[in-house]
Amino acid sequence: MKILVWAIQFIFTPAISPLCVGIIKKIKAWLQNRQGAGIFQLYKDLWKLLHKDEIISRDASWIFRYAPFIIFAVTIVVGGSIPLFASFLGNTLTGDMLVVVYALAVSTFFLALGGMDTGSAFGGFGSSREMTISALAEGGLIFSLLTVGLISGTTNLFAISGFGMFAESRHFFPVLLAFGGFFIVLLAETARFPYDNPDTHLELTMIHEAMLLEYSGKRLALMEWASANKLFIFSALGANLFFPLGLAQNMDAGAIVTGIAAFMVKIFIFCLVIALIESGMAKFRFFRLPDLLLISFILNVVALGLMY
Amino acid sequence: MIKEKIQQYISKDAKVEFCDNAAIFEVSASEIKKVAGDLHGNKNLLFKLITATDERAENDCFKIWYVFGIPKENLFIIPFIQLKNTTEFPSISLIIYESLNFEKKIQTFFGLTPTGSYDLRPIILHENWPTDIFPLRKDFNWQARPETASGVYRFQEVKGEGIYEIPVGPIHAGIIEPGHFRFSVAGERIVLLEPRLGFTHKGSEKLFEVLSLGDKVKLSEKISGDSSFSHSLAFCQALEKLSRINVPARARYLRVIYAELERLANHLGDIGAIMMDTGFNFGGAQGARLREIVMRINERITGSRFLRNVNVISGVVKDIDDKEKNKLSLELEKINKDFYEVIAVAENSTSLLNRLKGTGALSAEISKNHGVLGVAGKAVGIQNDARVDYPYAAYDELLPGEIATEQDGDVYARFRVRIKETFASIKIIQDALRKLPEGCTSIADPDVIFKKNALAISVVEGWRGEILYFVTTGTDGNISRVAPRDPSFINWGVLRYAGFGNIIPDFPLINKSFNLSYSGNDL
Repeated sequence: MKILVWAIQFIFTPAISPLCVGIIKKIKAWLQNRQGAGIFQLYKDLWKLLHKDEIISRDASWIFRYAPFIIFAVTIVVGGSIPLFASFLGNTLTGDMLVVVYALAVSTFFLALGGMDTGSAFGGFGSSREMTISALAEGGLIFSLLTVGLISGTTNLFAISGFGMFAESRHFFPVLLAFGGFFIVLLAETARFPYDNPDTHLELTMIHEAMLLEYSGKRLALMEWASANKLFIFSALGANLFFPLGLAQNMDAGAIVTGIAAFMVKIFIFCLVIALIESGMAKFRFFRLPDLLLISFILNVVALGLMY
Repeated sequence: MIKEKIQQYISKDAKVEFCDNAAIFEVSASEIKKVAGDLHGNKNLLFKLITATDERAENDCFKIWYVFGIPKENLFIIPFIQLKNTTEFPSISLIIYESLNFEKKIQTFFGLTPTGSYDLRPIILHENWPTDIFPLRKDFNWQARPETASGVYRFQEVKGEGIYEIPVGPIHAGIIEPGHFRFSVAGERIVLLEPRLGFTHKGSEKLFEVLSLGDKVKLSEKISGDSSFSHSLAFCQALEKLSRINVPARARYLRVIYAELERLANHLGDIGAIMMDTGFNFGGAQGARLREIVMRINERITGSRFLRNVNVISGVVKDIDDKEKNKLSLELEKINKDFYEVIAVAENSTSLLNRLKGTGALSAEISKNHGVLGVAGKAVGIQNDARVDYPYAAYDELLPGEIATEQDGDVYARFRVRIKETFASIKIIQDALRKLPEGCTSIADPDVIFKKNALAISVVEGWRGEILYFVTTGTDGNISRVAPRDPSFINWGVLRYAGFGNIIPDFPLINKSFNLSYSGNDL
């Protein structure tokens, strides 16, 4: 039974993440009076890309070739190491918040290197912008997780998600503020509005997509899949660390099914909010983005301050 | 009458010849700089175009024509120079800045060298075209295919620490026309932007010389596909002047209606596209939707979404009956209401306005010095509009309206100009529908005989700006040269100033706010 649960835990992220992207796109399409593609479109795209040949620049080094595997592997490991639908899976090996944050940083690092590797100008500025944003986002991310870590007295994500976050009323505001800070980082790290436009065809405005421009075929599929995983991972962290409702506390089959259902609802709400943001506002000008990340950091510092 | 009006512009001893509303006179090559500088600088005439004609067969010379317009008077002053036994002519690009690209074009296509020009790099034709073959000379066979050459094109270089170049295009990630942009960038700031176009060169000017008359009109519709009607209108008007054909009143009104429908469709699409490029998806989707409604109206009335095959010499071939008149009027009211609501939402979005305001600002001084046309010119307050300055079709009998202008010259100003023109277009169409006179829409089998050795200038305010056609006939009474000038040809020259100092991620938005034609530039 335990092996089965662990298997579900590890397959969950890559299996469901393309659906999240599909749902966001569908909601956006509806809000634009369009029919839009089906919510399973990304699965079909990945399948198609996995069967395609790829072209790799003559100047590409091993980094360009291996980066997609490293990035995809990191998202799979991290996806399995965070609480999704069950908090009792006490993963002490990779379930620590610092391990998760810096494992994701490793994938960002290789993403940026892969973008620059072929020497194309787009990859170069994509990587440069990505590093600018992720360097600024890191502080906000760590501090927001630190808030919930301090409340629950642990840095193990499973333990945090098993802790009744709103049990004491004095924790209410710090958690909400920290969540505000976390959500700003979520948008930055997953290349959504107002940071990046995942649907744009304008090379010069791209951040995340600019780094992927040189990839094709199977490696592109891995990259696309990995970024869907990342969106899913951040949504899961937001849903389960700040609002740890409905997670399975024990091995009971009924509790696990409830946990999965509750988790899916929370993820859907995240998708809905992201889609609403992307339909209702314009992307920010690049140099306004650091201000937004600074706000995230300040929110978290205030949250921490409120605790004492 | 015309003679009196032009007296103040031309010295008394010049031998002036009149062609309709154009005053033509010869100037010696050594004096053209002075004359052009005087007309443009002191007399405040608007520079329109420089072009050349190859008249070696008849007069043993090349002629270079300098077209200036007198706004509000519907008159053109055209000095020309003759080049006998020489292939050099004095450059006026240091006096009239926008003439630089016209001179480059004469150099590339006629093999005549502008002496004293600061930039002699070829334009439109690329390195694969031999530098000693000049396609617009009469002795060049348009079907000949020269051997592929391999030249070098030097972009302007910016040196300094941390400056790097971003080459973009000609193939882009979206479905847009091809053009290459070379950015020199410090971090994200644009230090230098150099567009390189010519990828859609189709040899249109040469084709105008060899195609049959009907095909010439069709070709004019393809100069820039999104301005099909305005281009063919400008060309047909020039031919009507040359053949002294009077257009029936009903046709003149219908031409206004179709031209404004074209403006409406494109402005709605552009307003949506500007919002889409900032990521404001609601506005983008609504703009596309409204444009599509107009495109379908076009198709219903004329059978062509782009209003093609409508203009003919002597009028139009598609009529609007009474039933259609009422239907169109109602639809326009609905578009007007929908558009008003969309704009209200857009104007309330701070994130959208933040992206639009201050981005890609073009100063009024640069715009005036470079003769910026159309939407971009109106966005800095330049009150030029061919519908008012050189009234054609039925514009002088319809709502004069004021020319929509803004002051700031940024993306937002160009956005606002388009919005104002959209509302104005709807009003003009409604007015034209009300006043639509009875009668025929064209002359059946008109006897098209052109004046010999004549010249005609025709101006139309397309949705981008002023479209101009320069058409000459030879000694045999056939069309000998057609030089279309899309406003894009002039406005491409100032895009670099609009980009300067902005950040790279804003450039697509700036470019979209100009939305210049690549095809109309490359011809």
